[in-house]
Amino acid sequence: MAQLIRRAGAVLTVTLLLGGCYESPDVTLHEPGEYKGPDDPFLEKAADPEHQEQLQQRLARGQTDR
Amino acid sequence: MARMKFLCDAERCIECNACVVACNNEHEVPWGINRRHVVTMKDGEQGEKSVSVACMHCTDAPCAAVCPVDCFYTTDDGIVLHDKDICIGCGYCFYACPFGAPQYPEQQAFGVRGKMDKCTFCAGGPGEDNSAEEFEKYGKNRIAEGKLPLCAEMCATKALLGGDGDEIADIYRQRVMKRGGRPQTWGWETAYKEGES
Repeated sequence: MAQLIRRAGAVLTVTLLLGGCYESPDVTLHEPGEYKGPDDPFLEKAADPEHQEQLQQRLARGQTDR
Repeated sequence: MARMKFLCDAERCIECNACVVACNNEHEVPWGINRRHVVTMKDGEQGEKSVSVACMHCTDAPCAAVCPVDCFYTTDDGIVLHDKDICIGCGYCFYACPFGAPQYPEQQAFGVRGKMDKCTFCAGGPGEDNSAEEFEKYGKNRIAEGKLPLCAEMCATKALLGGDGDEIADIYRQRVMKRGGRPQTWGWETAYKEGES
């Protein structure tokens, strides 16, 4: 009987110890908040297709392999 | 719409650090700050590789996700910028960034953190483009002038590329095809496949 109690105690201890090592796989993901600062006038310019084209040409002129 | 990205060709980077110097000079960044840095692996051994690293302007930027004061914003073409007037210099973004991009000037005694400073893809920050105020806080706004980041534009070996991600991927893909897949050797031949370009 005493051996049974000791075994049960050992199993309980091991279970509790292993239980303490458990880590939830659920990760809390945080979305970026909303920027509330002053507007950047550059944003409008960056969206301009003409400006985009200018940057594309610049890339083709300067960074492509010759 | 383009998505602005940097790409560093490790086969071509020769660890000259000219990109770092060009960035520091162009933007007159505070002492102790390098918005770009060159990381070298296997330094001095065969198979040595270097890559130039700065803010990678992540699509799902972890710095913006952890910022407690929401000082980050992203332009339509994917450039991640921040507002130094809102930044409190807490350092969360430094912990979150896998590239060590956020930097903090030590302007006061006891290493007190200043406002966070990082690569802006040469696109400044909030405020009038290329105004004195913008320059003082964020450096030059080359993108507004129709130019691309200076670090990439002046790279002597064209290891560092900066611009529309699709175009850059094409340039890199062509290089890899010329090299014939993943190179097992290193040196000039590998990087340029001399005689074929």
